[in-house]
Amino acid sequence: MNLKILSVETSAVSASTAIFEDNVILGEFFNNTRQTHSQTLMPMLKALLDNCKININDIDVFAVSTGPGSFTGVRIGVSAVKGMAMVHSKPCVEVSTLEAIAFNLKGQDCIACAVMDARCNQVYNALFDVSKNGIKRITEDRALSIYDLKKELEMHEKNIILVGDGANLCYNNMLDMKNIFIAPEHLIFQRASSVAILGAEYANDKKLVQASALMPFYLRLPQAERELNKKQNNVTQI
Amino acid sequence: MKKIISNNVDETINIGAMLAKHLKPSDVLALFGDLGSGKTALVRGIAKELGSNDAVSSPTFALVHEYHGIMPIYHFDMYRVSSWDDLYSTGFFDYLENGGICVVEWSENIENALPESAIKVSFEKGEQENERIISIEGCIEFENTIG
Repeated sequence: MNLKILSVETSAVSASTAIFEDNVILGEFFNNTRQTHSQTLMPMLKALLDNCKININDIDVFAVSTGPGSFTGVRIGVSAVKGMAMVHSKPCVEVSTLEAIAFNLKGQDCIACAVMDARCNQVYNALFDVSKNGIKRITEDRALSIYDLKKELEMHEKNIILVGDGANLCYNNMLDMKNIFIAPEHLIFQRASSVAILGAEYANDKKLVQASALMPFYLRLPQAERELNKKQNNVTQI
Repeated sequence: MKKIISNNVDETINIGAMLAKHLKPSDVLALFGDLGSGKTALVRGIAKELGSNDAVSSPTFALVHEYHGIMPIYHFDMYRVSSWDDLYSTGFFDYLENGGICVVEWSENIENALPESAIKVSFEKGEQENERIISIEGCIEFENTIG
C-alpha cells in the first residue's frame, strides 16, 4: 500500500518538513535561518501542503524526528505532529534524528558519523556502516565528548564521513586524521525528507505509534555528571 | 572588575541602562545576589535602554520572561533550578543561541553552566539601608567608561 507520509524535523537549528509517497519526495521545505521553530513550522507545513495540493486529511502517517537534539526544538516537532495526528486520528512514526542524518549518506561506502553539536565540546552521535548493502547501525545514539568520539573513530580504517550540524565542529578537532571527510553542504543537515523515507520503512515494518504515545527522546550529557552549583562542588570535595 | 555604589533603586536602574549600552546580541549577563539586592531593578534599566516597554518582573515561577525591544532579552530566574535536567528543561541552552541577551538571576545555582564569556554582576548590601555595592566583571567597554 502506498502511504502518504508527512514528516517534521525541528531537532536543532534548522527546521524542515516533507511529504513522501510511493518512493517519491513530493515536496520539502527546509529553513536554516535560526528562527524560532514554534513560529515558522506551521506556516511551512501549510505552504508545503498548499503547494503540493495535498489536503492534510489525505496524510496516512505522520513521521517526526524525536531526538536527540535541542530541548525546545525536539518538543516543538513532537508536539506539532502529536497534535495533527491526534486530530486526524492517524498513526505516527518516531525516527531517531541521528539515523535520519546518517540516511543522507545512503549509497556511499563509508562509516557515517552522525554528529549534532550538544555544546561545551560534547556531541550527540551514532555511527553507521554505509555500503551498497544498506545502512547498518554500529552504535546506539549517545552523548559524548568530542575527545572520546575521536578516540573511537581512530580505531576505524574505513573512510569516515561526518554529517550533521556538528560535522564542522568535529572536523576541526580531527584535522590530523587522514580518513575523515565532511558531507557536502546540501547533505550535512538533518532533513525532513530523510525522516519521511525512514518513516515509510518503519511504517511498512508496522513500527507505528499512536499520537498519544509519541515522546521526545533526550540523552543525558556527560557534563551533567558535574555539579551545577560551584559552591556545592567545593562542599563535596571536602 | 569594577565596583559601583548605588544609593537607591533608581540608581540601580540607571546602572542597568548604562550597562545596556555596551551589550551585544548573544551576551549573557549573570547576576549574583540575595533577594531584594537590586537584580530585577538592573534588568528593568536594561530593558528600558534596549527599547522595551514590556513589564519587567522576576520570572520566579515562569523561569523565563521575554522582553522585546531593539533586541530580545531573555530574563531567567534560576532560584528553583537545582539540576542539569532542570536547567535543560528551561530551554536555557536553546536561548543562548537565539541571538538575544540572556540575563540570569540566581546565577549561583547554575554557575558551572555559564558560558566563559558571561558578564558577571554581583550585588551586595552596603552600610545604608538602600545602599548596594554592584560589582561588574567581564564587560571591558563598560568598565572603561566608568573609569
